[in-house]
Amino acid sequence: MENHKLSISKINKLFKDKELKPSELYDEVFERAASTESIIHGHLTLFQEENIQKALESNTRYEKGEHLGPLDGIPIAIKDNINISGHVTSCSSKMLANYVSPYDATVITKLKKEGVLFTGKTNLDEFAMGSSTENSAFGPTKNPWDPSRVPGGSSGGSAAVVSAGSAIASLGSDTGGSIRQPASFCGVVGFKPTYGTVSRYGLIAFASSLDQIGPITNNVEDAKLIFNSISGHDPKDATSLIATKTEQPNLNKAKIGIIKELMEDGISEDAKEEVYKVAKLMEAEGHEIVEVSLPLTKMSISIYYLIAPAECSANLSRFDGVRYGARVSGNTSSEMMELTRAEGFGPEVKKRILLGTYALSAGYYDAYYGQALKARAMMKKEFTDIYKQVDYVISPTTPSDPFKFGEKSDNQLEMYMSDLCTIPANLVGMPAISIPTGLSSQGLPLSVQIMSPANTDNTLLDFSQTLQSLVSFIDKPILNRTEK
Amino acid sequence: MTDKIDIKNVAKLAALKLNEDEQQQLEKDLSMIIEHFAALSEMDLPDDKISIHPLGMSLNLAEDIASKSLTHEEALRNAPDSKDGQFVVPPSLD
Repeated sequence: MENHKLSISKINKLFKDKELKPSELYDEVFERAASTESIIHGHLTLFQEENIQKALESNTRYEKGEHLGPLDGIPIAIKDNINISGHVTSCSSKMLANYVSPYDATVITKLKKEGVLFTGKTNLDEFAMGSSTENSAFGPTKNPWDPSRVPGGSSGGSAAVVSAGSAIASLGSDTGGSIRQPASFCGVVGFKPTYGTVSRYGLIAFASSLDQIGPITNNVEDAKLIFNSISGHDPKDATSLIATKTEQPNLNKAKIGIIKELMEDGISEDAKEEVYKVAKLMEAEGHEIVEVSLPLTKMSISIYYLIAPAECSANLSRFDGVRYGARVSGNTSSEMMELTRAEGFGPEVKKRILLGTYALSAGYYDAYYGQALKARAMMKKEFTDIYKQVDYVISPTTPSDPFKFGEKSDNQLEMYMSDLCTIPANLVGMPAISIPTGLSSQGLPLSVQIMSPANTDNTLLDFSQTLQSLVSFIDKPILNRTEK
Repeated sequence: MTDKIDIKNVAKLAALKLNEDEQQQLEKDLSMIIEHFAALSEMDLPDDKISIHPLGMSLNLAEDIASKSLTHEEALRNAPDSKDGQFVVPPSLD
C-alpha cells in the first residue's frame, strides 16, 4: 500500500469511511521505517511499541464516530529538540544524550489532544546548528533521493522521514532556514510560520528571536492543517503573538515580486530556472510578476551570523553540568563547567558560542551585535516597503540542489551561504514556505520559496496551494522508486 | 578596529576549555568569519527602531501567580548529582 503518501485529509476520509484503520497505517509507516531507516537514519528513536495501544484506541474512536479531529491517528515525527514528556530530547548532542524531558512542549500538548501518534524523534545538526545534519553527534541523516548527499539541516531527519514515507508529516524548527532548506533538499514542503504564531515553549532554544516551530509535509494542504493545529497564543511563551486583524495579500490577480538579489551570483542556474518557470505559470494564471530589489538581503549571512550566535551563546550557557545534561568532574565548579562544556558540545556549537561571546564582549558589541540589530531593523523596513507594492515575494529556497557529504564541511562560509535565501524570513519574522517544483539537471529536487507579510500565514498557504497544483511535482525519491 | 580574536580570553568568557589544536583551528575559523563581517560593520546605518523582537512587539509576560509546575523530584531527576533535594556541585574555590 502507498497510504503513506496520501494527503492527511484523504487518509482521514479513509479512516472515517472505515476503508483504512489508524493501526494499519501505523504498521505501514513502521514497515517503511524498517526498510529505510538503516539507509537514511532519519529517526534517532522510534516509538513503535508504546504507541500500538494508542493506535488501537484511535481505531475505536473512528469506529464509534468519535474521532478527535483530522489528525487523529496520523503518524507524525518530531525533531529531537522538542520536548515530549518521558522521552529523551538529545538535540543530537552528547550534552543531552540522557536528558529525559519532564514535560511536553506546547505543540506536543496540542497534537496529543488531537490524537496524533508520534513515530519518534528525528535527527538534527547539534542544537539545530547546521545545514546538513553532519553536525549531529549521532551520525548524519542521508538524503532519500541520493544517500551520498545531505538531507539539508538542521531539520534533516524530519525532512528525510517524510520524504522516505516513515512518517506522514513531521515537526521541525527553523532559525535560519532549518525547515525550508531540508524540505527543499528532500523534495517535500516546509513551512516556517510568522514568528510568535507557534509557541516555542518546550523547544530547546538556539536563537530565541529567530526560532520558530513548523511543519514538514508531503503537500501544502497538510502543512496548513498542522499549522492550524499547533498555532495559537500561549501564555507560557512571552513572545507568543495574540491574534490581531491583519490586512491579507490578494489571492487572485496577485502581484508577485522576484527578489533580484537572490537571483544573482552564488545561485545556480537550475535554481533560478525553477523561479522563472513558476513565475511563467503564475503569469499564465493572471498574476503579475515583477522584479523587486531588497539590497540588505545580500547582508543576511553577516547579520544572521552575529545575531544567532550571540543569542546561542546566552541560551547555551544553561548547559553547565549542574541541573541537567552531562557532567565531567572537576576540582571546582568552574573547572567542572569548562570541562563539561568542552566534552559535551561538538565543534560547530563551540564555534558559534565563541563567535557570539566575542560579538557581545566589551569593545566589540557596537561594531558587531549592535550593527547587526540596526541592519535587521533596516531589512524589516525594506520588506515592509516592498509589501506595499507586491502581495508576495519569491526566490529559490536554496542556492543549489543537495550537496554531497563532506563537500562543504571544510568551507564554513560556503556552508553558511546555503541559507542565503531562507535567512531573511527569520530576521524579519515573516512566514515563508518552500514548495518542491522540479528536478535539477542531476535529477535532484529543487524548490521555490514564497514569503508574505507577518500574520498572513493562512493566505500564504492558500496561495501556495494554487502554485502547488500548477507545478504538480510528482517525482519520488530513489528509496520510493526502487521499492517493490 | 582589530579583527584579531583573543581566543583564550573568549573561551574563558564562554566557560569552554579548549585544547591547543582547537584553539588554533577556532582562531582561524573565527577570524575568517569576522573578516566576512567587515562590510556590515562599516555600513552607515541609522540606530532608530531597534527591537529584539522581530515584529517589534513587546513581551506578553504572564501574571505573577503561582501555578502548577514541575515537582521538586521532577526538577532534580535530570541532575548529574543531587542530595537531600538539592543540586550538588564541586566547591567554588580550591
